Amino acid sequence: MHETKAIEIPAVAERPAEKARAPKHDYPGALVVVEGIDGSGKSTQLYLLKRWLEINGYRTHFTEWNSSPLVKSATRRGKQRRLLTPVTFSLLHAADFADRCERQILPLLHGGYLVLADRYIYTAFARDFARGCPPHWLRNLYRFAPIPDITFYFRAPLDVAVNRIMAGRPKLKYYEAGMDLGISLDRTESFRIFQERILNYYDQMMEPDKFVLMDGTVPVNRLQKQMREILGERIDLTKFAPKKST
Amino acid sequence: MTPRDIPNIPGAGPNGRHRKKDGKGKAEGKEASRFYGASLPGVREDELSGTLIVIEGTDGSGRSTQISLLTEWLESEGFAVQTTGLRRSSLVADDIDALLAENSVTRTTLALMYSTDFFDQLERRILPALRSGLIVIADRYIYTLIARSAVRGIGRDYLHGIYEMALRPDLTFWLNVRPEVAFDREFKKSHTISYWESGRDMSLSNDLFQSFIRYQSLIKKEFEYLSRRHSFIELDGETSVPNVNRELRKQIGAHLGIKGTHYQPSGALAHLWR
Repeated sequence: MHETKAIEIPAVAERPAEKARAPKHDYPGALVVVEGIDGSGKSTQLYLLKRWLEINGYRTHFTEWNSSPLVKSATRRGKQRRLLTPVTFSLLHAADFADRCERQILPLLHGGYLVLADRYIYTAFARDFARGCPPHWLRNLYRFAPIPDITFYFRAPLDVAVNRIMAGRPKLKYYEAGMDLGISLDRTESFRIFQERILNYYDQMMEPDKFVLMDGTVPVNRLQKQMREILGERIDLTKFAPKKST
Repeated sequence: MTPRDIPNIPGAGPNGRHRKKDGKGKAEGKEASRFYGASLPGVREDELSGTLIVIEGTDGSGRSTQISLLTEWLESEGFAVQTTGLRRSSLVADDIDALLAENSVTRTTLALMYSTDFFDQLERRILPALRSGLIVIADRYIYTLIARSAVRGIGRDYLHGIYEMALRPDLTFWLNVRPEVAFDREFKKSHTISYWESGRDMSLSNDLFQSFIRYQSLIKKEFEYLSRRHSFIELDGETSVPNVNRELRKQIGAHLGIKGTHYQPSGALAHLWR
């Protein structure tokens, strides 16, 4: 028979075991992330927020998904040769994220930075769920990641988002369009259905994961104003402000 | 390519909807699942007619010798055999080699790269073989991966969670040897001890022998726990090759319904028979 209980064996190695996922991190820094489907306007808004913080001299650092050189070659090879299954696709991205998390995000939070992340674990939850991975498996996989202080969820209607993407791109990539899922032989159609699944899952996470909903159809400057206000309300920005030499 | 079934949307929220790791909570209400937890997306268990046999044990426990002999024996009995092992995937094996050489990789990233390697082989090598009714002999399995990460402080429940979509082996053998014996055998074979097999990244000792013994002792403790949890068949890896092999043939023969498990290796493998 197989055991069903959680493990209660004492630690063999005298090393700190991974803590159970805490509701909130207790680092001196702060973590602000933007989430949403492609074309929802999130990257533009985070860029503007970052510029604003930088220009005013705040201790801030920007990080985005898929930027670790460490596992880039594997991802590229897997995509080129179409070797990736939903599970290996998911694990490879998790490995990449773990690298960024352990070598960048966590040290910066420790060091008291305001960390801005373009896409975070919710991107993986939505995308990999849409590819067929079980939600509870995904939640466990990313348990090492600190929970953000604010998660801005940029939401635009599917048509608006898809049109924005199609306008700026000559051809959709194979995995980007979810072609490996066999949804449709037509790349655009496949992309649309895939994005719809992702959008639906984002909507489902909104309440339990405490997303701050941002309307991606509002003009850029007005939306940015809202974002700055919310940031100021939720996070004590004086902690990150430049020291005044008087 | 056939469209995959996309499940309904359960379990959004901080912890998802947690299911017990024994696979009993399955909606279909099947008895023992062949997976530890959730099934791999797109896999139907009833088409897996082959047999998965896992041989676990540290370097120097005689795994590869036994696998060569078992393969010959099974083939002579008319069974088709596929072997598999860690870090052999076409997807990421080279990348893991590069990461290990670099030595700047963090433990979680390394653990996840190994899990990528494992699932790549599971999905594109082991499962196709099992669908075709082959005997798959795995030279190490998820247990080594779990043990290595657990001694480095990664949570055991986290690791079991990642591997819940791994296939439950039909038989798992653990060739148990003392670290000292493993050291002697490895040193005799390659005249050196590998950086990772002696856990040098864990700063256990500057003395290579000490580091190896301590690291392998930690791994062994993890295996003792895993052995209970996953019902390993534990074999004394310190006895002679023919003895260990006889025990393996007895157990495997009983599982596959092979009558009479007499075996004498061919000339090509006779040098292993000591």
